[in-house]
Amino acid sequence: MTTIAAASQKNHIRERSLVLDIVIYLVMLFALIVCVVPFLYIIAMSFSSSEAILNNKVSLWPVGFTLEAYQQIVEYPNFFIAYGNTLIYTFCGTLFALTMMVLFAYPLSKNFLRGQSFLMKLVVFSMFFSGGLIPNYLLISSLGLTGTRFAMLIPFAINQFNLIILINFFKSLPGEIEEAALIDGLNWFGILIKIVLPLSGAALATVGLYTAVFFWNDWFYGLIYLNSSQYPVMLLLRNIVNGTTMVGDAGGVGEKASVAIAVKSAVIITSTLPIILLYPFLQKYFVKGMTVGAVKG
Amino acid sequence: MKKFLALLLAAMMILSLVPAMAAEAPLTISLYYSDNSTLPFRADWPALKAIQEKYNVVLNIEPIPIADYTTKVGLALSTGENAPDVILGTSTAGQNASLALNGAAVAISDYADWTPNFNARVAEFALEDDVEQLKLGDGKRYYLPQLYDKPFYDGGLILREDYLEAKGFAAPKTFDDLYEILKAYKADYPDSLPLTTIVAPRVLYRMTMPSWGVSLGLNAATGTSVLSWDYEKGEYFAGAISEQYKQYVTFFNKLYEEGLLDPEMTQDATLTSQKLATGKAMATYGYYDQIGGWTQGSEIEGFKLNMYPVLEGPGGAHHQPKNSTGGGIMFPIGTAKRADFEQVVRKIDEIFFSEEAAKIWCIGMEGTTYTMNGETIVYADEITSSADGIYKYMQNAYGCGCDGLQLVWYNAREMTKYDENYAAINAAVAAMPNAIQYIPATPSFDDLTAEDAALLQTTLADAWEVWNDAFLTGKKDIDAEWDAYVQDLKDKGIEQFCEIYNTYKK
Repeated sequence: MTTIAAASQKNHIRERSLVLDIVIYLVMLFALIVCVVPFLYIIAMSFSSSEAILNNKVSLWPVGFTLEAYQQIVEYPNFFIAYGNTLIYTFCGTLFALTMMVLFAYPLSKNFLRGQSFLMKLVVFSMFFSGGLIPNYLLISSLGLTGTRFAMLIPFAINQFNLIILINFFKSLPGEIEEAALIDGLNWFGILIKIVLPLSGAALATVGLYTAVFFWNDWFYGLIYLNSSQYPVMLLLRNIVNGTTMVGDAGGVGEKASVAIAVKSAVIITSTLPIILLYPFLQKYFVKGMTVGAVKG
Repeated sequence: MKKFLALLLAAMMILSLVPAMAAEAPLTISLYYSDNSTLPFRADWPALKAIQEKYNVVLNIEPIPIADYTTKVGLALSTGENAPDVILGTSTAGQNASLALNGAAVAISDYADWTPNFNARVAEFALEDDVEQLKLGDGKRYYLPQLYDKPFYDGGLILREDYLEAKGFAAPKTFDDLYEILKAYKADYPDSLPLTTIVAPRVLYRMTMPSWGVSLGLNAATGTSVLSWDYEKGEYFAGAISEQYKQYVTFFNKLYEEGLLDPEMTQDATLTSQKLATGKAMATYGYYDQIGGWTQGSEIEGFKLNMYPVLEGPGGAHHQPKNSTGGGIMFPIGTAKRADFEQVVRKIDEIFFSEEAAKIWCIGMEGTTYTMNGETIVYADEITSSADGIYKYMQNAYGCGCDGLQLVWYNAREMTKYDENYAAINAAVAAMPNAIQYIPATPSFDDLTAEDAALLQTTLADAWEVWNDAFLTGKKDIDAEWDAYVQDLKDKGIEQFCEIYNTYKK
């Protein structure tokens, strides 16, 4: 009797679990559709002919397949140079920023460092209070960086938020390992390179991804510090989108009205695709990044 | 002795060449240019090259995206760092006025002797008063504006000509005519919303309100949102609480209530295009060169859109007010420190305002882009056969007719780049008495008054938007609520705001 009751209860739990699973899957499916459908629509628009768009025929599949919108983007003067610039800023900027932040964060993670508390206060202070646009511009200009690609790399080498993530992560590493390494004759720099960094993959990937996304998306600093030949692609794409948005608000630009939405869609795809392709490989680090440095050792 | 003489002569010959060589060295000028993605700047534009060769000048043009142009110009002017010699396509509107007054830009009106070509064009177009009005509070002008001999009628009422022909309607002359056409279309196609808008109702408002004698909202001619200009008295009046505005909003409320006006007020250009191309709408207020895109895309047989001259309303037949001057050339103060500042100013004057240069910026180079048949301009086959049309093709391929680079605009010459229909519409509008009125000059406020005025304007503009939407869509009854509305705007200081503007008007 007891066995039957237990089996029935088990079945009941299994059924409940199945129902719950179905509900969860349905909710997740709905969330997926909500996220994916607009993206599919954008892709379809970017590949559709202007006639199809004008006649409201496009839904989730391209109608009158054409690459006209993409052609318009790539024919934009300096498009490939700008794309190359962005790749340089993203790659070099991320590498440089990681190097600088690691070199800054590691000493700051040591409580016995003299002035550590003062330096931390300086870091936090600059997080909340900045000089403002014009003083910053004057500073970068007087350092002779404006009009050079270094203006995109040096001023953004250290991000306080990312720095604090790294400091807390380094603090969470067991101190015993470093003590053992010290006893074995490694100096602090050797410990950083040979012990700490190999153990910090998750933190470095998270901070690296945050930094790469920043450099990939930036257009404003490119605009104010650089010359047109050094502009990142985001600035060009922003200009293209603005140009199509302004269609209809002024004379002289109207004949492209029919493909405005197609161009806008193509710009969205062009600008987000590299990050979207990268994301699945780094997603786990992003999730980890939420907790990296949250608990300090 | 002979050797000495030969050497002396040779030396003299070489020395005599020095001034000539010096004269041949081209003047180098750096410029900011506002770059629009629909007409991306190209350094190899033949018109640009021709100007540089003809006038022996090197123009280092820095194209800045149009959306961020004000930021970049503001930064260059306010910091004085890395500023170019010349800023194109700018004016002393907005923050540039205070920057100029604080010494960030050259008061170019002080150097009128160095701009003989600009002065000649101003005299030719009789724009002395217009140019005078560009002076700031200190009585100085800080830029060389674009000059137009006549304002263009480049946009207006666009509607389905094929429908008018099919139903036997004559071209509309008044807003009552338009109402009848829209009503007939609605009767034929009950699901339609015959009159649609573009980029919210801003274009509709700015192009139609003047026929009621007001100009209000975001694109109000006065730039105040709630005040209008009395062209007879030459003063501001509180247009937002005037009887003219009441009549205006009553008319458009009627269209709305009868389903003749598209209720979608936040659509972008694509949605407007779709509605027109699919027949959901049959009319809008837009620009002439948009017609091509809409027509090409439509699958409706016989689909034909056309632009019509200004319609007459209770206040006459008036289009959106326009000025005969536009954004132009500013010299950051750093340029004045150049040893050759005078040459720079003279060169800029010559390459943008001289008759010959203005012709190159407009129609290109004789023998290349056009030839003259008596007085008639004959464009090259390559240009006339382009699917883009003469105007657009010349912009893209030659750099002619670009807003930032062409500073002198002759209406008749421009019309040679358009089709006969457009020229005819422009001629019809030009023949109408005062169809395109002038934009009243911005008053010269001191800093404190400007702040007071800005505070009042923000509150009043917001209130007007809310009331206007409610009146238009029938959420509030115009007759019943009118007094409450007037009182609300009075409480928010519309009379005081109007007084400030009239006190400081030019």
